Amino acid sequence: MVGLPARGKTYISRKLHRYLNWLGYNCKVFNIGNYRREICGTECDKNFFDSKNEQATKARNECASMALNDLINYLNSDGEIAIFDGTNTTKQRRNMVQCQLLQQCQNVQTLWIESICDDVEVIQNNIKLTKLNNPDYISMSPEEATKDFLGRIKMYEEVYQKIDLDEKLSFIKLINIGEDIQIHKVKGYLLSKIISYLMNLHTYPRPIYLTRHGGSIFNQENRVGGDCDLSQQGIQYSQQLGKFLFEEFPNQEQRDQIHCLTSTMKRATHTADIVCNILKINYLQLKTLDEINVGICDGLTYTQIAIQFPEDFAERKVNKLTYRYSRGESYLDLISRIEPIIYEIERSREPVLVIGHQAILRSLYAYFHRNEISEVLQLEIPIHVVIKLTPAAYNCEEIRIKIDPDTGERKQIEEDLQFTRFNILTKKKSYILL
Amino acid sequence: MQQYKKTQNKLILVLVGLPARGKTHISYKLNRYLNWIGYKSEIFSIKGAQQNNDQLDQNIDYELEIDPANQQFVDVRQQLSFTAAHQLVNFLQNDGDIALYNGLTSTKLDRQKLKSLFKEKLKLEYQVFWIESICDDPQVILNNINESKLSRFKEKTIEQFMNQINVLAQDYESLENIENLSYIKLINIGKLVKVHMLEGYLCSKIVSFLLNLHANNRQIYLVRSCQTEYHLLDKIGGDPELSATGKQHSQQLGDYFIEELKGNKNITFFTSQMKRGIQTAEIVGDKLGIKALKTKNLDEIDYGICDGLTVKEIAAKYPKQIKERKANPLEFKYPRGESFLDVIHRVEPIIYEIERSREPVLIIAHVAVLKCLYAYYHCNQINEIPNIDIPINCVIKLVPIPYHCLESRVIIK
Repeated sequence: MVGLPARGKTYISRKLHRYLNWLGYNCKVFNIGNYRREICGTECDKNFFDSKNEQATKARNECASMALNDLINYLNSDGEIAIFDGTNTTKQRRNMVQCQLLQQCQNVQTLWIESICDDVEVIQNNIKLTKLNNPDYISMSPEEATKDFLGRIKMYEEVYQKIDLDEKLSFIKLINIGEDIQIHKVKGYLLSKIISYLMNLHTYPRPIYLTRHGGSIFNQENRVGGDCDLSQQGIQYSQQLGKFLFEEFPNQEQRDQIHCLTSTMKRATHTADIVCNILKINYLQLKTLDEINVGICDGLTYTQIAIQFPEDFAERKVNKLTYRYSRGESYLDLISRIEPIIYEIERSREPVLVIGHQAILRSLYAYFHRNEISEVLQLEIPIHVVIKLTPAAYNCEEIRIKIDPDTGERKQIEEDLQFTRFNILTKKKSYILL
Repeated sequence: MQQYKKTQNKLILVLVGLPARGKTHISYKLNRYLNWIGYKSEIFSIKGAQQNNDQLDQNIDYELEIDPANQQFVDVRQQLSFTAAHQLVNFLQNDGDIALYNGLTSTKLDRQKLKSLFKEKLKLEYQVFWIESICDDPQVILNNINESKLSRFKEKTIEQFMNQINVLAQDYESLENIENLSYIKLINIGKLVKVHMLEGYLCSKIVSFLLNLHANNRQIYLVRSCQTEYHLLDKIGGDPELSATGKQHSQQLGDYFIEELKGNKNITFFTSQMKRGIQTAEIVGDKLGIKALKTKNLDEIDYGICDGLTVKEIAAKYPKQIKERKANPLEFKYPRGESFLDVIHRVEPIIYEIERSREPVLIIAHVAVLKCLYAYYHCNQINEIPNIDIPINCVIKLVPIPYHCLESRVIIK
């Protein structure tokens, strides 16, 4: 990363980290600030960042070197993508980093991501959201902290050199949260993907509602797959859901802005029909949101699957993430399938409502909330519950509301998770995002 | 197409740039891509306006007659550019979705006039996105002229053309932020790209697409997986393995490619996740010393409830579906399966990969999927897709060149 403090570098790093992990890559962020806090302590005021302060500059350079060394070690072992989260504001520093990386890492590609912002309001907002809670400023009042931080930015500004074409680096410059974007010398599958992803990022705090379709006939019979319709309770839930969202968005103008996405399966479309009728909006049917294809097990109950396909059933228990139903899909296929939806949701600056199915929502939810995709499978997405996610500074705020289909009573509930660690297959080439 | 087309405003893509900067090439490629993914898209240019105008001398190529000293030509070009803009407005007012404009846009004044014209004449919601191509590498410009313009020069020489461009360049004004336009600047075929005020689903897609374009004319090979038992039994769908003959044919395919690719190991090699695709690709790959990337996106169309049945069985069991399919082969969706439109959507990421690749591309897949890929390069309308012929044991070689795609087919015995 490159950029003055409070330009969103850590925000971008973390989002990229979450996205790349979700896709299945081994990715890690190396934040120079964290190294500095550990080695030099958290009592560094703005004078520590003065380039004329020789002793402090030496200390800061050492911290950066340590972070870089750890990064290089990570890539040379089993890491595939590393994100170097620091200011890297001078040509000299960037040159040093680039040379060291090319020398010490086998087969590496680098991409420099520069975040530039001259909108004072945005910067003040960033400071308020992310810096005041920083360990650096625990002992200070908000006004003192802000003043000191602005002073720190000034120190960096004195020596800041934006990335120049002469440096011959592959880069992307994000100016004023994507109002202007410059891309230079970007080639290759993964870098192109990352660029497309970064172009869609913004910081509008719009809510995302995830819910399963209302209870279906197959749900009642405990069957998987199929394309059945809603049960009576399912229909009632859809109506209650519609009423709930109607109240969430008090006027029609707000409601008109909601993007409603659903699948092409009867149960989801029926739910969307009812909800969108109440909200008086349109919805979009996407085959990419269809439930995971269970192939030959379609229409069977879990007990029947265990009897008819015992080997498959056992294999699935052991290896739920990569297990692919015969003539069907695996969770990894699913994640690859719904990736465009992630882009859509990220890009959208208006509220989004997704009416989907369990496996789909687990995968979507995993992107917004967790880093380990192994945890996808344990996620609980119960029926008749709507999950509201509001992206905040570095993560998502979540509210889960259980809506009783009969009475319409709404109750906020907590999620209940169990995590297991899991190893994912790795690939050969490694990448560094700076 | 209701599924994938969002309820959105009409889109106008305006191309900006000096002559021989690849504007027409970009507009053709974009137009082809947008039509393929289901939008109704058309290009409006000086050339197009000239062809529709009987009063003009069709022997003069007004697109190339850029001599600023010849006032008569300048006036005609001005007029044609204006006509094209009006035709564009008509198109969008009716049922067009996206219009590409390749006319006179080189100065701020021209652009201002264009914006005003749209504002005045278009009575519906629309968005304008400006695409500028800038090039300062003389070799690239020379290549552009050689590849796309030279055949149209009557008495002109390349030198004359370059000189005329240089005169035009003096009045040329590149897009600036002050003009308050949403744009993308492609500099030296995408080596440096600048994007300003990007908005909207479709524009994001278009930007991603443009980032992948390049000028290398590399070959694309489309091949079906070889024979399986299902072929012999006349069954469709399923996930059968190769028959003995199939394996033999795969060997011959491998031999063919050894000669074709002449030892190039850097090719982009894709296949599906179906057994017959993987097996064919393994045999061919072994011969070439490269491994194929397996992607589920290249899997054969999902035949839903008709999967694994013979053609006769389907006719007997599902006569209603057969009738539906005959009526509308493009949009017909096998119950619990897919339609061609779903396949197009599924195969789109592969198109990006092919476009991005500067090395030869080899794809081993299946009939319906290859029809969709082939249509991207060759068909002007997607309703031609169901009728495309993709025979087995046949290598289809496509070489996209400016404005066309060369094709040759080789049957492997």
